[in-house]
This record gives sequence, C-alpha cells and structure tokens, in this order.
Amino acid sequence: MYTRTDKQCALGDLVSHVRSGDCVAIGGGLSCREPMAVLRELIRQDIKGLKLVGSAHGIDVDLLCGAGVVAVSAESYVGFEQDFGMAINYRRACEAGVVKVEDNCCYTLVQQLRAAISGLPFMPIRSVQGTGFLKLHPEFKTMICPFTGEQLLLVPALKPDVAILHVHYADQHGNLHIEGPPVADVLFAKASTKVIATVEEIIPNQELAKKGVTIPYFYVTAICEVPYGAHPTSCYPRYAYDREHTAHYYQTAKDGADSFLKNYLRPFVHDCKNHNDYLEAIGGIARINRLEQWNCGIKQWMQLYE
Amino acid sequence: MNNKTKINTCTLGELMIYQIALSIEDGILAFHGFGSPLVQLALHLAKRNHAPRLILVAGATYGINPSPAFLTPTTNDFAMNRGAECHLSIEELFDLAASGRLGRMFLSGLQIDRWGNMNVTRLESNDRLTLKLPGGGGGCNLSCDADYVTIWTAAHRTHADAKGRRRYRLVDHCDFITSVGHRTAEGLPRSSLSFRGRGPDCIVTDLGIFGFNNEGHAELRAVYPDTSIELIAENTEFDFPFAEKMTTATLPDPEMIEFIRQLDPMKIHQRELSHDDRERTFHLNGV
Repeated sequence: MYTRTDKQCALGDLVSHVRSGDCVAIGGGLSCREPMAVLRELIRQDIKGLKLVGSAHGIDVDLLCGAGVVAVSAESYVGFEQDFGMAINYRRACEAGVVKVEDNCCYTLVQQLRAAISGLPFMPIRSVQGTGFLKLHPEFKTMICPFTGEQLLLVPALKPDVAILHVHYADQHGNLHIEGPPVADVLFAKASTKVIATVEEIIPNQELAKKGVTIPYFYVTAICEVPYGAHPTSCYPRYAYDREHTAHYYQTAKDGADSFLKNYLRPFVHDCKNHNDYLEAIGGIARINRLEQWNCGIKQWMQLYE
Repeated sequence: MNNKTKINTCTLGELMIYQIALSIEDGILAFHGFGSPLVQLALHLAKRNHAPRLILVAGATYGINPSPAFLTPTTNDFAMNRGAECHLSIEELFDLAASGRLGRMFLSGLQIDRWGNMNVTRLESNDRLTLKLPGGGGGCNLSCDADYVTIWTAAHRTHADAKGRRRYRLVDHCDFITSVGHRTAEGLPRSSLSFRGRGPDCIVTDLGIFGFNNEGHAELRAVYPDTSIELIAENTEFDFPFAEKMTTATLPDPEMIEFIRQLDPMKIHQRELSHDDRERTFHLNGV
C-alpha cells in the first residue's frame, strides 16, 4: 500500500522504480494513451532485460524492442493495424531470437490479472484449449471441473513488477483519473506490485474527486506531471494520434536497424535530455497545437490522418 | 439519402463489407475488434439495414452503438467511438463472451485451414520461427467463446513465384493455431472441448464465400461475378466440397454503397486489399 501524501517526483526518479529484468505491464492500447515519455526515459537510463505483458499494443512495444531493452514479449498483439502493418522492430527482435516470444491472449491475461487481484493462485477458463498457446505456455494446466465434469484450463496468477501508465489527471496523493476507455490499466494497477504514472495535469483532490477516481491512490507508487507524455499516441480529448510522426518512425524502422538508431533513437530519445527536448525535437508547440485541433471540426480531424 | 450521382458499380471492398454484414443476425451482441476496417464497416452497415437491434461493440474503445465521425486508420480513436451510448471494459466484453452472450465474432488469419483454424502468431520452418506475426489479440479466446465466427480475408488470391511456388492463405496446415475452428491439429472434433461457441460458419474472401458442412469442413458456397470455381481452387491449398446450391454472391444496393462511402471517406478499408483488387468493380445491373 502506497500511503505517502505526496507522490510527485521527477521523470528520472519515476523511472528508477523499474529495474532491469522486471515484468512490466504497459498501459493504454494501440495508438492511444501509451506512456511514451516513460518508455523513452527507460531507454535513456539503460534499463533492460524487460518482460512485457499486455493486450493490444503498437509503437510502445516496438520502440522498446528497437532499443534492445526487451527480453521476453507476452503481449497479445503488437502491430500498427491497417495503418502501417507489422511492427518492424518487434519482428526483427523476435525473429533474431533476441526477444523470446510468449504471446498471450486478452482474456487469458485478464483472468491471470484477476487471479492476482483476488489473491488466488489461478483462474479457470474454457478457451485456449486446442490451440498453439499451450505449447508457448507450459505453465497452463487442465483440470476436470468437480461440479460439471468439464475439462477447463487453469491459468496462473500474473503479478507484474511494475505497471506503467499515462493518465489525464491525478492529485498529488496519486489518485488517478482516466478519460475514455481505460483498456487494461485498472487491472494492471490492481495486480502489479508497483504502479508508476505520468499525468497530463496534476489537480487538487476536490477537482479530481468530481471527475471520478479511476484508480485509488494507494495502488500508486509515484507520479510525474508530463504534459503530452503519450505523444505520438493520442490522449483524447487533449490531443489526437500523431500519424505523421508515426509514419516517420515507421519508415526509419523499415529502413533497417541502423537507420532506426541513427534516424529515430538518436534524435528523439538519446539526444533528448528530457521530455521538453523531445517536444522541441518533434516540432515544438506548433506540432502539439495541430494535434489539439482535432475537435475544431471533422475536416481538421481527418486532415491529421491524410 | 441524397443520391445525386447515380451509383452503378460497387468495388470489391464494398461487396466484401456487404457479404460480411449479411452474416450478422439482428438482436445479437457483436464486437468488431481492431485492425479490421472491412468488419467495422460491415457492422455499421448491418445495423443500419437488416439488424437495427444489433448491440454493436466497437473494438479497442468498447463503446456501444457509436456513430463514428469517419473510419480512422487506427481503431482506438475517439472518432470511432463518437456518440457511443454506453461503454464496456475489457473484462466485461470478454466475460460476456465467456458466459455465452457474444453472438458473433470476426476473425482473420495469415493461414486459414479447411476446419477454420487460423494462425496470426508465427510462421515456422522445422519448429523454428521464420516470421513473427502481430498476434491475435483476444481472437483465441473469442474463437472458443463466441456463438459464431465470421472468418474474412482479403488475401485469398496467391501469386506463384519464379519457381511456381505459392504462399497460400487458405492452407493445408497452419504452422501455429491461434484461433480454433471445427477440428484441432490433433484431429479432435470441436465438440470434444468444453467450448460454448459453435465455431466459424462462413469465410468471406476476395474470391468467394465458403460455408462449413456438417463435418466442419469448408465448402464453397458462392463465387463473385468475376471469379470462378477453377480460380478459387487454384488459389486454395486444400481440396474443398461445394454447397448443394452454388450461387454468385449478391451485390449491395446503391444506398448501402453510399452509406459505406460516407462512413469511410478516406477509404481506410481499401488498405486491407491488394493494389489490383482495389480496381475490381462490379456493375450493379449484373453486366
């Protein structure tokens, strides 16, 4: 239980809660609300050998794979959907054997997190039997249900070392408010040993309570105010997905590992001392303002994606 | 609907969207997942036409019955969720499926076998990983739990390389089974597993439409106006039976086509199609 009155810290200190070799659950989903500023700081601090667990992800997992800090991936999906296709750095790392592939499925993950949340050793499910996942996960066991006689699959509790989230609002005590779909963030927060979160804006508790607390403070280890910390993924209603930047990211990865290091990791991660440097590198306030214009009309919104 | 320019033709994408929509029953709860623009449009088309009571759950945002501003290049976008009347959480959607209340799911694969098993996880050669695919999200769970599954792929057509070899989409054997059809890799029938769902009942491809026979084997049900049984056989690695009454797939009407074009002004759904297939069109009057 995390009861400190003031959970605020600097981004560098926030990230120091993650140790090399940790099992990490990254919040958000696909092109939405990924804790990208934290991930860039992880890479700068040279924290490696991570095991990643999650549902549907994209640039977050791909970036970490491209930076060589991932040892195992137990994600359900890693890709750029119909927008750009397969995740190039992720693929390269898996196919080279650098990242061990332990793919999982969304509901299996949900049930494993629920087991951890409920203090149980496992949860049963019907699905997954008869699929290749049993080979990837020898820890899954079957049993005959003592009530119905059906054969069920037992999936063990999953307690990540750290959940890394990016959310809209927090108070200094660490109560978190997420607008829109929380994806698996709430489950991650309740199942993980530690929770670290970057926040668009820290506000007084009275204001936060009015908006509604998505994750209570005592689950949360530390927070840091990092506006635009999800860029280039979206953090609606504040800003939309930066498709143009993502296209650039994708092209640098497609051109090879050397290109990705030289044309993406160096200029946007290693050469940026902090998040403000990063915001300058991507085009500063002008670029951010453009992403904030999504709600000026459908035409402006669509223009972001053309 | 304001229909100033008369619509005389539909594209392959629009035909596939319509055919996927026809698989959707009224009054059920269905979920479109992510990375699936053809399916996303099909659900909205079905709800507007023959399935007004459809409980439409958007993929990624889990919003119910939204009116998207426009189809977006990625699925977890507020534009896709606009006007949603309520929301589920990730666990609630999957619980609904596990308890037998998800009427239909839509799944695809880089490999699809005759029993409707699919692979979106990895290609292998001698047990060695040769191509890491993105993974199936919750597809594995939902292939077991959803009442029915519509399979779709826009890459049925294969092209032979210089040595005459083809990499089939409809394959003899999946390198890995991500989602289950009617028979496991070991040959066990689906009924021997404790699943609630009844498995896939159709495959909508860029070349035609399959159903599944009593044994759970894919059987060709319909061709398209510009395809033939021979062409489909040439592009399918396994042999397949035919439905008793083979047909040529029906085309959507002009109002449906206009609806699709309005909902997807950036033609995001065409990204699922090959470049050649984006040019395929069909005359609505049957010519």
